[in-house]
Amino acid sequence: MPPKNENQNPLEPQTAIIEQHVEETDDIFSLYVRPQINDFNFRPGQFAMIGLPGYGEAPFSFSVIDPRSRMLVQTIRKAGTVVDALSALHSGGQVSFRGPFGNGWPLEKLDGKNVIVIAGGIGMAPLRPVIHHLIENRSRFGEIYLFYGVKTIEDLLFSDDLEKWSASIHVLLSADEVRQNCRLPVRQGLVTVLFDQLLEPLSDAVTFTCGPQIMMKFAAAHLILQGQAATDIYVSLERRMKCGIAQCGHCQIGAKYVCMDGPVFCLPDIQRFADTFL
Amino acid sequence: MSEAYLLSRKRLPDWIKSLAEIYTVLGPVPLRRGQTVFEPIASADLLNPNYCSTMLSPRLFIYPGCQKLFTVNRSTGQYVTADPRTQRPQLIFAIHPCDMHAISVLDRTFLAKYEDYYYRKRRDDTVTIVLNCNKACDSGFCDSMGTGPFLRLKQGFDVALTAREKDFIAEPASENGERLIGGRDFFERATAADLGEKEEIEQRAKRSFTKHLDTDGLPQLLMRHLDHTVYRRTADSRCLGCTNCTMVCPTCYCYNVQDRTGYDLMTTTRQRYWDSCQELHFAQVHGGNFRSSREARMRQFVTHKLATWVEQYGCFGCIGCGRCMTWCPTGIDLTEMAKEIQRDAAEK
Repeated sequence: MPPKNENQNPLEPQTAIIEQHVEETDDIFSLYVRPQINDFNFRPGQFAMIGLPGYGEAPFSFSVIDPRSRMLVQTIRKAGTVVDALSALHSGGQVSFRGPFGNGWPLEKLDGKNVIVIAGGIGMAPLRPVIHHLIENRSRFGEIYLFYGVKTIEDLLFSDDLEKWSASIHVLLSADEVRQNCRLPVRQGLVTVLFDQLLEPLSDAVTFTCGPQIMMKFAAAHLILQGQAATDIYVSLERRMKCGIAQCGHCQIGAKYVCMDGPVFCLPDIQRFADTFL
Repeated sequence: MSEAYLLSRKRLPDWIKSLAEIYTVLGPVPLRRGQTVFEPIASADLLNPNYCSTMLSPRLFIYPGCQKLFTVNRSTGQYVTADPRTQRPQLIFAIHPCDMHAISVLDRTFLAKYEDYYYRKRRDDTVTIVLNCNKACDSGFCDSMGTGPFLRLKQGFDVALTAREKDFIAEPASENGERLIGGRDFFERATAADLGEKEEIEQRAKRSFTKHLDTDGLPQLLMRHLDHTVYRRTADSRCLGCTNCTMVCPTCYCYNVQDRTGYDLMTTTRQRYWDSCQELHFAQVHGGNFRSSREARMRQFVTHKLATWVEQYGCFGCIGCGRCMTWCPTGIDLTEMAKEIQRDAAEK
């Protein structure tokens, strides 16, 4: 038997206080959450198990990590029982909180490189702190592209941010349907229609992507055809999770646990298994 | 490491009796319909040390099928952790080597980077006395998987027993094991000749196997043939999706979590229960399911036990007990699937 590890019970949650509830779109909202923990150590791409007793828990990534105010923002799409219960909460409410879990984005791989960020729908949420990091440390990177695809213009998240970001990085937007005008330039089509805007040779770029798996599959295939190495593409995956600590088995893909080995994977490292749809 | 002892068969009841004073002794008891089941025993009368295999392995004493995690008082938000321990410490008597290996396999999941509070407490509170198998059981292939018929673990258990005609050879493997034997006058020291005979019994036991699986290079082979037609053919024609295979598998660890709130709406209890990758809901996510076909779920079972487990935990997830095929209503045999893939690869 392995030696005893004096950690507490990792399945027992802490309490976190909700500071604010913001409706982002028709079916997406953000909870500003302050966890009651001493060690505020969260990285972009990691997640926490958030829930309510009686309803259960689900994994949510962070769309803002603010160590100064010790605040996290979870941007959540309304789907499922746990989220239904969470969406009814407002400031002052309490949720159960366990985390952080998972590896997070390998930000260190971006230094000195051109950076391509591809987001689809709610997949923008875990990439938002990556963009914050890129812009705060702008001089450390080459060209930076954000490709962001949504279903309709109303589904665009963080449009104020997008406008601000476009001052320092290339922000390129697409929507499956473009029926009305938008403050921001949006092209009609899937996110891959934007790839003709890539100016730099792709061999020196690192890609981070999060979104529907079908989007990540085609976006990655597209980039690889344009010369990018598959090993420079990182995908963030979503699975249902019950524990977050590599024990309940639900998030397993081949030999990997999305909760512990992921949720961010180097593409070829996860593609080799069955049932990835990548 | 330590001495070996002899316990005459006549004195076995005395030993069990003295153990039962300290522990809840869980031993193989022949019950209805010829099924042997691990149950608490107070004396050796009911004990059936010649049992072949049980339906459920003794994993359920360490990792129960349904386990309370904590309760929450919904008005104060106060959490009370459930104590997973049993009233008295438990002792599993005559656990077979494959099942003992299976517990050591579970240790790699539950006592890893994150340690499961509940599993650790039960594991620490459980004494294990292994009984080596003198002959192969009906559908066992533990010899091929390196988990039997004689125990190959060096630690993680307390005593190993080998049955002979008139006595048992008892080899303690932990301080606890030494304590269970030491100071009891019915144990004698074993001689080198006794241990020599143990070797012979082991060799005889190894020769009694009719079922084999060649595991050399098997994980790599299975990963190269994820699209092999055997999964689809077997799944579509024979798999009922009943999840028996995963319920009886002694290394399966997946669980689901459920919250139950009392009728007064004041207390919520969170509990976990065994879940199965053979259930459709298992790989469900919002907007889809990653293993919606029975073929994909079948492949998940076979490749996890015989391939990806090795990358995850450094050992096979299959301990060769044969339960999954014994309790499959249509007799699906994962070794047959593996062998078909091996045959096809050899022909190419």
